[in-house]
Amino acid sequence: MSAPATHLFQAKPSFARTAEKGVFWLFRSAAYLVLLCGALVFADIVIKGAPAVFTTTFPFVNTVFLTEAPESLYVFEHEGAKREMGDREFRAFREQEAAKAAAQGRKAPEIKATSFVYSAGGIFPCIVGTVLLVVGSMTIALTLGVASAIYLSEYARQSPLVSFIRLAILNLAGVPSIVFGLFGMGMFVIFLEWNVSLLAGWFTLAFMVLPVVITASEESLKSVPKGFREGSLALGATKWQTIRKAVLPYALPGILTSSILGIARVAGETAPIMFTAAYVVRDKLPWEGLQHAGDFFFQGVMALPYHIYVVSSKIPQNEYTERVQYGTAFVFLFIVALIAATSIALRNKLRGRYKW
Amino acid sequence: MPPETNSAALPSPTFNIVKRRLSFFGLTLDECIQVFFGGNAFVAVVILGLITYFLFREGAEFFGQNRQNLTVYRQAGLEYVDFMRRQEQAHTALTRDLFELRMRAVSDMTTRQGLTLAEANQRLASFDDYAGRFDDAIGPLRGMVADLTEVATAIKTKFNINQDKLEEREQLQSAGRTVEANAVKVEPVDFASEIAPILATRDAYLENNRVLAAEFAKLVEQVPAAPTPKLQGAVERFKVKVKAYVATFPSIEAEMAAWDFRKSVPLWKAFSAFIFGRQWLTASFWQDWYGVVPLFVGSLMVSMVALFLAIPLGVGAAVYVNQIASLREQRFIKPCIEFISAFPSVVLGFFGIAVLGEALRALSQVTWLQWLPGFPIAERLNALTAGCLLGLIAIPTIFTLAEDALQNVPRAFKEASYALGATRLQTITKIVVPAGLSGIISAILLGLGRVIGETMVVLLCAGNRIAIPDFTEGLSAFVQPVHTMTGIVAQEMGEVVRGGIHYRALFVVGIFLFFLSLGINFLAQKIVRRYRISIG
Repeated sequence: MSAPATHLFQAKPSFARTAEKGVFWLFRSAAYLVLLCGALVFADIVIKGAPAVFTTTFPFVNTVFLTEAPESLYVFEHEGAKREMGDREFRAFREQEAAKAAAQGRKAPEIKATSFVYSAGGIFPCIVGTVLLVVGSMTIALTLGVASAIYLSEYARQSPLVSFIRLAILNLAGVPSIVFGLFGMGMFVIFLEWNVSLLAGWFTLAFMVLPVVITASEESLKSVPKGFREGSLALGATKWQTIRKAVLPYALPGILTSSILGIARVAGETAPIMFTAAYVVRDKLPWEGLQHAGDFFFQGVMALPYHIYVVSSKIPQNEYTERVQYGTAFVFLFIVALIAATSIALRNKLRGRYKW
Repeated sequence: MPPETNSAALPSPTFNIVKRRLSFFGLTLDECIQVFFGGNAFVAVVILGLITYFLFREGAEFFGQNRQNLTVYRQAGLEYVDFMRRQEQAHTALTRDLFELRMRAVSDMTTRQGLTLAEANQRLASFDDYAGRFDDAIGPLRGMVADLTEVATAIKTKFNINQDKLEEREQLQSAGRTVEANAVKVEPVDFASEIAPILATRDAYLENNRVLAAEFAKLVEQVPAAPTPKLQGAVERFKVKVKAYVATFPSIEAEMAAWDFRKSVPLWKAFSAFIFGRQWLTASFWQDWYGVVPLFVGSLMVSMVALFLAIPLGVGAAVYVNQIASLREQRFIKPCIEFISAFPSVVLGFFGIAVLGEALRALSQVTWLQWLPGFPIAERLNALTAGCLLGLIAIPTIFTLAEDALQNVPRAFKEASYALGATRLQTITKIVVPAGLSGIISAILLGLGRVIGETMVVLLCAGNRIAIPDFTEGLSAFVQPVHTMTGIVAQEMGEVVRGGIHYRALFVVGIFLFFLSLGINFLAQKIVRRYRISIG
C-alpha cells in the first residue's frame, strides 16, 4: 500500500480535530445504543415467541394458538411419561382412563396434575377483541378528528378562540392514558351505565388518539397547495365543493397513513381499557349468544394487551407458562410492528409521490 | 346615496332564472357545513372539560370522606393511642440499633479477631444481658398500648356498624319500605363515655412514664463498654440517642394533655393528609391512610432514572442524526427510532419481568461493579428496572422533538459560524445546540410527561411496594422497589368498592396526575414560545 499523498494544504493532525472525532463518536454511539436496545427487546420477544406461533411442519403456523380460546394447562405424569394437556383434553383423558379401569374392574387411577391457568389453548378471543376495539375507536376518532382538522385548516382564521382550541389539543395529547381510563370509567361505565363494554372502550380510546389524528390530518390538509383551492373557487365552486373535490382527495392518503400510527397506539394501550372494555377471561366470542343485535356493543371483550398483562403478572414464570407469555407478546408485537412499519413505509413513499 | 333606498324606489327587476338557496335556520348549506366542522373542532375542548368534570365528580367527595375518616380516628381515641404507640415504636428503633451493634460486633470478632462464633457469643453475654433489660423496660407501656388498641378498635367497629345500619335504613326508606326502615335500630355511639376507659389510663401512663424515664436514665449509665474498640463511636451515638429519646417524653405528655376528642377536624386537614401524608395504607384493621407522598416519590424516582438515561441518549442521537450523520444513516436511524416508539408498553413491561430484572440482578453481582451504590440488588423488580424501560419509552419522544428543534435552527446561523472559522464541533456545541435549546428542553419536559403518565411498565416492573424508600444510604434507594401513582390506580381500581373512600382516593390520585401532566405540558409550551429564536 502506498503512503497517502502529502501536499501543501493537507490538514495537519491537531488536538481539536482528534477531540472532534472523539465527540462525534460519542454522539454516534448514543444513536446506535438506542437502536441496539430496541433491537435487543425486539429480538428477545421474537426469538422466544416465534416457537409458540410457528411450527416446523405444515402449515408452519400454530393454528391452535391462533384460533382457540385460552385454557388451563395440566401437567402430570402418566405411566412414566410426562404429559401436558389442555383442560378439555385432560377431562376426556381422565374419563377415558376411568372407563378403561372400570372395564378391567380396577379402581379409577387418580391423576395428580399441576395446573397453570391460560397456559394451553390459544389467544383467538384476544385477537378478535383487539381488532374490534381498534376498528371501532379509529372510526370514531377519524370522523371527529378529520372534521376538526378541516375546520382548523380550512375555515378557521387566527383568533383567540382557535388558539385556545389548539392549546386544548396539545394538552389533551399529554394526558396520561390511565387518566383516560379513569375518565372512561367515570363517564361511560358509571354515569352512562354502559358498564364494561365495547362502546365504552371505543370512546375512551378514540378520545385518547384524537389529538394524534387531528394533528396528522391538519398537517396533510395544509400540505395541499393553495393553488388547488384558489383554482376551484375561481371556477365558481362553493367552499364545501372545493374542500370535497379539490382538497380532501389529495390529503386523504396522508391523513390515513399518519393515522395508522394512531392505530398502533390504540392497539398498544392497556391502561384505558382495563376498567372500560377488557375482561380477564370470557368464554364467549363477541358474536356468540347475543339476544339483540344491540347487545353486541354492550359486552366486554378480551384484548391482547390486557391478556399479556394478566399472563405476565398473575401466573408464575416457568417452562410451561413461557409459551403463552412469549407467544402472546410476539403476536401482539408483530401486529403493532406491522401497523407501524406500514405507516412509516407508506409515508416515505407518499412523500415522493405528490410534488407540486 | 346608499343603494338600498334607490332599489326600493324602483320596481324590482324580474329574472328568468330564480336561484333559490337551501337554508336551514337562516343559514345556507355552506354555512351549515362550516358550523358542523366548527362544532367538531371544539371536541378537544369538550373532552378536556369532560375529563375534569368526571374526575371531580367521582373524586371530589374523597375529601369529605377523608375528613370523616380522620374525625373517627380522633373520636374513637385511635389518635390518642397512637401517641403512646409512637413512643413505643421509637424505643423499638433503639432496640434495633442495639441489635445492629451486636451484629457488627460479631462480624468484627469473627473476621478480624479470628474468634469462633461460640466464643464471640460468650464475649457478648454481658451485652446481650443489657440488651434484654433494655428491651424489657418498655414492657408496661407495650402492654398498655396493646390493651388500649383493643378498646379503641372496638369503639371504631361499633361506629362503623352504626354507619352501615344508617345506610341500610336510608336505602330502605328510599325504597319506600318505611316499616322495615324504622325497625332498623341505630344507637348513636356516645364517644365521651366510650372513650372514658382510655382517658382513665392517663394517670397510670404518666406514672409509668416517670418510671421509664428513671429507668432509662439508669440504663444509659450502664451501657456496657464497646465490645470492640471500633464500635466505641456507635455506642456513644446510642447513648446520645437514648438521652434524646427520654427528652421527648414531656412533649408527648404535653401533646396528650392538649388532645381533645371533641375537637373537630378542619377540612384542610383532609387535603393536607392526602398531599403530605407519608403513608398509603388501606384495608388495615387500625386506621387507613391515604397519603400520596410515597407514590409521588416512587413516580419521581422512576422518572429520574428514565430521564437520566433518556436525556443523553435521546438528545445525543438527535444531535448525531441532525448534524453529523450522513443522509443514508439519517434515513436508517429515524424510522428505526420511530419504530421503537410503537413498542407497546405492556410488552416492554413483560420484557422487564422476564429478562431485564434478572439480567440487572446478575449484572449487580459482578465483583468489579460492587463500588456502585446499591449493588448487589436485592429485589429483581425495582425503580431501576422500571426506569431503564421507561427510558426506552422516553427516548423516541425526546429524540423526535429535539431533532425537530435542531432542524428549525436557521441555516444562516451555522453558515455564519463556519464562515468565522469555527470547526464543526464548535458550531454544534456553541451555535446549533444553544439555538435549539428551548426546543430541546421542552422535548425533555414532554418526555417527562410521557414517563410520569406511563402505567403498564411501572405496574409490572417497579416492584409495587408502597413505602418511601430509605434515602439514608444515598443512591441505593434507587434499587428498592417502589409503587407509583399510575401503578396504584391500575392495580387497586379493580378491587375497590364503588363509591367508597378508597375508590375516591384513587380518583383523586387521577386528578393529581391529570393536573401534573397539564402543568408539565403547559410549561413545555411556555418555554418554546418564550425562548424561540425568531427566524428573520
